[in-house]
Amino acid sequence: MRVEDPRLVTGAGRFAADWNLPGQLHAHFVRSDRAHAEIVSLETGAARKHPGVRAIFTGADAVRAGYTKPMHTLAFPGKGGMQTRAPERPALAHGKVRFVGEALAMVVADTAAAAQDAAELIEVQYRELAPVIAPEQALASGAPQLHESVPGNLSLEAEAGDAAAVEAAFARAAHVTRLKVEVTRVAPNPMEPRACLVAHEPQDDSYTFHVCMQGVTTLRRQMSVYTGVAEDRMRFVAHDVGGGFGQRTPAYPEYCALMLAAKDTGRPVKWVSTRSEGIACDTHGRANIIDGALALDRDGRFLGMRLDWVNDMGSYLSPASQGHVRNTSTCMTGVYRIPALYASYRVALTNTNPVSAYRGAGRPDVAYAIERLVSRAAAELGIDTAELRRRNFIPPEAFPYKTPTGSTYEYADLPGVLEKALKLADWRGYPKRRARSEKTGKLRGIGIATVIENTGAGQAAKDEVELELDARGHVTVHTVSKSQGHGHETTLAMIVADALGIPRERVAVRQCGEDRQHRLQGNHTGGSRSTVGAGSVCHIAARKLIEHCRGLAALELGVEPSQVDYAKGAFRSRESKRAVKLGELAGTGPVSVVGEGKFGSTFPNGCHIAEVEIDPGTGAAQIASYCAVDDIGTVINHAIVEGQLHGGVVMGAGQIFGEHVVYDLESGQLMTGSFMDYCMPRAGMVRAIRGAEHPTPSKVSPLGVKGVGESGCTGSLPALANAVADALRPLGVAHLDMPLTPAKIWHAVRDARKGGN
Amino acid sequence: MYALNYVKARSLEEAARMLASHPEAKVLAGGMTLVPTLKQRLARPSHLVDILQLAELRGIAAKGGRLSIGAASRHDDVATSVVVKKAIPALAELAGLIGDPQVRNMGTIGGSLANNDPAADYPAAVLGLGATVFTNRREIAADEFFQGLFATALEEGEIITRVVFAVPKRAAYAKFHHPASGYAMAGVFIALTRDGVRVAVTGAGPGVFRWKAAESALSKSLEPSALEGAALDASELNQDIHASRDYRANLVRVMAKRALAKLSGKK
Repeated sequence: MRVEDPRLVTGAGRFAADWNLPGQLHAHFVRSDRAHAEIVSLETGAARKHPGVRAIFTGADAVRAGYTKPMHTLAFPGKGGMQTRAPERPALAHGKVRFVGEALAMVVADTAAAAQDAAELIEVQYRELAPVIAPEQALASGAPQLHESVPGNLSLEAEAGDAAAVEAAFARAAHVTRLKVEVTRVAPNPMEPRACLVAHEPQDDSYTFHVCMQGVTTLRRQMSVYTGVAEDRMRFVAHDVGGGFGQRTPAYPEYCALMLAAKDTGRPVKWVSTRSEGIACDTHGRANIIDGALALDRDGRFLGMRLDWVNDMGSYLSPASQGHVRNTSTCMTGVYRIPALYASYRVALTNTNPVSAYRGAGRPDVAYAIERLVSRAAAELGIDTAELRRRNFIPPEAFPYKTPTGSTYEYADLPGVLEKALKLADWRGYPKRRARSEKTGKLRGIGIATVIENTGAGQAAKDEVELELDARGHVTVHTVSKSQGHGHETTLAMIVADALGIPRERVAVRQCGEDRQHRLQGNHTGGSRSTVGAGSVCHIAARKLIEHCRGLAALELGVEPSQVDYAKGAFRSRESKRAVKLGELAGTGPVSVVGEGKFGSTFPNGCHIAEVEIDPGTGAAQIASYCAVDDIGTVINHAIVEGQLHGGVVMGAGQIFGEHVVYDLESGQLMTGSFMDYCMPRAGMVRAIRGAEHPTPSKVSPLGVKGVGESGCTGSLPALANAVADALRPLGVAHLDMPLTPAKIWHAVRDARKGGN
Repeated sequence: MYALNYVKARSLEEAARMLASHPEAKVLAGGMTLVPTLKQRLARPSHLVDILQLAELRGIAAKGGRLSIGAASRHDDVATSVVVKKAIPALAELAGLIGDPQVRNMGTIGGSLANNDPAADYPAAVLGLGATVFTNRREIAADEFFQGLFATALEEGEIITRVVFAVPKRAAYAKFHHPASGYAMAGVFIALTRDGVRVAVTGAGPGVFRWKAAESALSKSLEPSALEGAALDASELNQDIHASRDYRANLVRVMAKRALAKLSGKK
């Protein structure tokens, strides 16, 4: 059991909505029910008179405060020197609304119910504009324009790789496989709905936020950019956080609006999102269309690959949108030696909720595009899909491997991972299983994905942790990373305890503590980086603590530091055999050290193999088996790593088989606004995952670890889709995009059979 | 949720009186649909009259070829009842397929029928078995009770008290779950009653309906092939982002065949 589990499973966790402050008021947001409209008038008179109402804020207030320019991170040089066109986004919409759910007014009242009642009294008159929902349509000429500052709804056009080299590779190719795929828009839906309680301190004009977050540093910087309030005047408090997946990273406009209210009313102001608000307004994930082509020679060796992306960012650029371009180019070659690569990106704005990082943030998307292309190429050429991969792997001796798009893969034993997975999945026995399924009237398919991803690197200048040793010999770890269920309290404590040779119970972890959050630097928890970054500096800090204490111990023991040995929480003089315990060195006050480090990307990789069984009568697909072999470097806690992989695999399965945010293409209305229509994966969807580790320690950090939080998704999206494609290929089904719902599969089977007749 | 008055009725008579004196009052019989509706502010009753605890509405009994189920019986009561399992096992199985454990521990048969969600499971059993719905005023035959999308024969203030089923020779239910909501995308209940074969379909259309063409086909032969020729007008079925009319029509046929297979003891 993890350190945090007793608290969480007994309902004793403390989440954002559990915080209350004396005298607090409650906010309710008025949200647009139009996808694209001018706000002609906003009548708040009746609402202001409603009992219990303290204040009402609108877009005019947000503009007056200057809360209009959220940070964006699409800071890449665009094609031909193009600069990113980042539209303004007042914290409350001003003049115009651009997606269904956009907040345009906020009512603050004594109770949440009074705020909601009054919100219904606000009358908004709109002049409707034509919306544009599909990103390719948004980029077409004559499309409705969202922002004057973003002509053609094109926020950025970028490229990676070498177009001429790819063109040459395609010219001499014996075979070219083409496939256009969509990685659909999904809603992260963490278990804990978003909530925020903001208090303003007039004394020093500072703000305290009780909010669900993924770490303090990134959110604080983004909030500061959005509002112009200096970072040292913002404090963030979070204890337990119920899931994140990237959705908790950005500075949301609601939080800025709450700042306005807290300052203006002089009272703390609290807001708790409903699930429906969450589906509509928490940043969405994925939403990429990728047109891919893979060129092969006569022997099935890859010569070049081209991926043309349309990235749907929604109506505004989220502060964490960079992954769609950065991460997808970093790992563009996948696990293969592809000499020529080229990717183009067109970042489109549409009348939809903004898109941001979501478990993998582009990594699963690019893996999906590549792995579907490779499996399709294998089918077209009649080569075993595992063999085609084996033939094109970056060979172990080629590492460190510099990819044509400029990143350097550290090391991977790709053939080793593959062979282990093939054995685990009984690849050879598959035809028998297929025949058995056929006997019961089912279609069976097998899908494989061999994937790699960049994890661990962060944007902070460095990662720091502080270790504080007290007189009991207990150590407190202070970090600015933040678990959202990851288990930092367990993993980081294990790292420190192991390095110090003391029982794990003597190490406590404090995340984003108020007294440390401005002192320590570091990355938020996201991008599979916390064990690589915060974890590694825990190890470094523990070594540093030993060395620091060795000096103190030497004084105590009256010998030279070089004459003192450390083991299991005590220093011993070599000469006299006298010993002093760690705690004794903190007798006059805590001993504190700060460990720091800056770590580049690690490259976890793996091979996932899935089998599905399809009922042709209903189109329903069942996952018949799932095997995952992953090289995630050295493993600190096997149970936590397994949990991460399982969660990632199921999250990918959810997207492949059901999850999909759907907007009506004509009206822009959200069609999947609740769990009645938004299809979350259920526990029975993935019944068993057979997993194995194949660790090759990373040299990026002293721990040898690699990121793991996103690997499951990266592997399962392509493995599962390839399995369904394999099952349907004999019927002549050329291609299906996710989500592979029963209805979609049934139609494909029916149409293929019709065509066959 | 809008502010409202909650009344826990102590008797059926008191509940009826409350409903009569407050025209905007609503009956709360488990609330598995009503409470989410209230939370989304899609309904604004003046009162909620809770009848869940009324002893008059509880109890499951079989006697003389008839099975009586009190309106406040939870889905789980029906799913796990030895009496129901013995009399009409397909009905117990259907109740066990409704929602999730939380819903089955709160939702009631009376609440489900009064709501008449077009994708609810119980209407298929009640119509398929030709049951009789008893209220505090009268009894209503299933064929008259269901009147399309969320519409029933119930009058203002009328409360379902129990449902009485004639025990059929055999019956079976096959359901295809809506992947998001868990309701029936299509559910088909087939019963061999003393008056002949009845086939009721839920989930696929704007309300539960009898598939008469299938009934007449099956009255000649209970072989699955008999269903092949049974006409089903897809144009009258639902179409939405989840499923086309054609897909739903297919599901109705497939579920009917599967129910038939269960009926004949085949898997």
